[in-house]
Amino acid sequence: MIDFPTTMWISQHTIRFAFHEEISQENFLVVQKFNRFLKKMLQQNLVESVASYHTVTAYIKQKIDLDFLQEHWLWMQVSPTVDDVTNRQLQIPVCYDEEFALDMYRVMDYTGLSYEEIKKIHMSKLYSVYLIGFLPGFPYLGELDRELFVPRLKKPRNSVFASSVGIGGIQTGIYPLDSPGGWNIIGKTPLNLFDVHREDTFIFSLGDQVQFYEITKQEFIEIKSKGV
Amino acid sequence: MKPLLMIKKKGVYGSLQDQGRYGYRAYGIPLSGPMDKVSFQAAQYILSNDKNQTSFEIFVGGFEFEALNEGTYVLTGAKCKCLLNDVPVEMWKTFHLAKGDILSIKSVSLGSIVYLTPKGGFQIEPILGSGSYFPLGNLGDAINEGSVIFGQKSKTLRFTRGLYAPFRPTFKTSITVRIFKGPHFDLFTDESQHQFLNIPFQFSGGNRMGYYLKGAALQLKESKDILSEATQFGTIQVPQSGEPIVLMADAQTVGGYPIIATIHEDDLHKVAQMRMFNTINFVLMEE
Repeated sequence: MIDFPTTMWISQHTIRFAFHEEISQENFLVVQKFNRFLKKMLQQNLVESVASYHTVTAYIKQKIDLDFLQEHWLWMQVSPTVDDVTNRQLQIPVCYDEEFALDMYRVMDYTGLSYEEIKKIHMSKLYSVYLIGFLPGFPYLGELDRELFVPRLKKPRNSVFASSVGIGGIQTGIYPLDSPGGWNIIGKTPLNLFDVHREDTFIFSLGDQVQFYEITKQEFIEIKSKGV
Repeated sequence: MKPLLMIKKKGVYGSLQDQGRYGYRAYGIPLSGPMDKVSFQAAQYILSNDKNQTSFEIFVGGFEFEALNEGTYVLTGAKCKCLLNDVPVEMWKTFHLAKGDILSIKSVSLGSIVYLTPKGGFQIEPILGSGSYFPLGNLGDAINEGSVIFGQKSKTLRFTRGLYAPFRPTFKTSITVRIFKGPHFDLFTDESQHQFLNIPFQFSGGNRMGYYLKGAALQLKESKDILSEATQFGTIQVPQSGEPIVLMADAQTVGGYPIIATIHEDDLHKVAQMRMFNTINFVLMEE
């Protein structure tokens, strides 16, 4: 039984629903479930919503009846429902070549692992897209294997190239655009994460399962030239 | 579509803005749209434009335009010296540009943001449902010297229209805005909570993403990592320095700094029009 989240009005058209404050797969599933529940319950009244690790923030047109929502949330949980989780699994190519892996030495130093081990551990897990934000289409992927926990750079870089793959604390992610950033860069994908001229503007959606696989520099160039 | 204006001189910052880009915050794309909604909407109202037409938003002046076609316009927002072929133009009132006319937006004296709006709005290819320029996401086009901005054919207004002086917004050097407590309000020390609500902060610069405030350094009871969560135009974040940042129209969609409060949406235009050394006071909304 999942308790109804604590609620808070952020402003007159924004309401925040908060679950337990932690980064975890369980929390992620609960938050996603609640986000879908809100979309279904609020329908046209919902302008849009942003789900984070433990909160769903809903931007709404007019005040909502929280008692009514709560009642339905409880009802939904005692009655059998089919969950409409889209369980997409995406394989994302990454070139860990020295040229792209700007912080590989730093990561090796900090973790005491070899280059091969770092790649292997990074590719070994299926990550969930827990959150999208900070930049258009930037996926926060969790959770990273504990062996790869490395603090962010003390001083963020002024410019990280688009498509760079980074790790920072419990997370890994990919920069969709050239931007300042403080994550440890360990590789680069030839894919373009964000393109408004493409039918799928964004590669990732919340809840996608992502796995990285290694490609060579040559393969990187080939994929890149096809312009995916 | 017809070319309306050519940028002869570029000032500090200017961008085309419509009501904003809705529906993509879950993908990390901010809302954007006008910083001062009141002056923006007044312009559409005065011109009988559709609510979502596009205006050119100008920070602190410095722009010069050459008219490439005739058109009816209005200037709204901050108190500003504006010249049409070297003759002063009154703001908040429609005026006409003929081909070859030169319009200069000189210096701003009260407030900081001016909107130049043509009858029918500026025309721009919408991206993800909006024509608002968002440079960080490469959405829309930058306006530079030599750029041409387009409009659409529209009926000219038969009369001069405008707002009478008593109805025009005024811009003060010291403002008070209403706030809602933020999700992390209680994580701040009692002293910081008190300071936040009782001591004015001073504007110390910023852009369409955020405004920096100077004042009491606000402190958390204990240093604690906050999980990133949704933010919006009006979110007041407190980074490690303890000096608040107000997120503005191009605010990133999620943030990881503690959120002490959120500004009431109806007071955001006042915040947007702040300029150097202006002060801001926060009052808590009754719950």
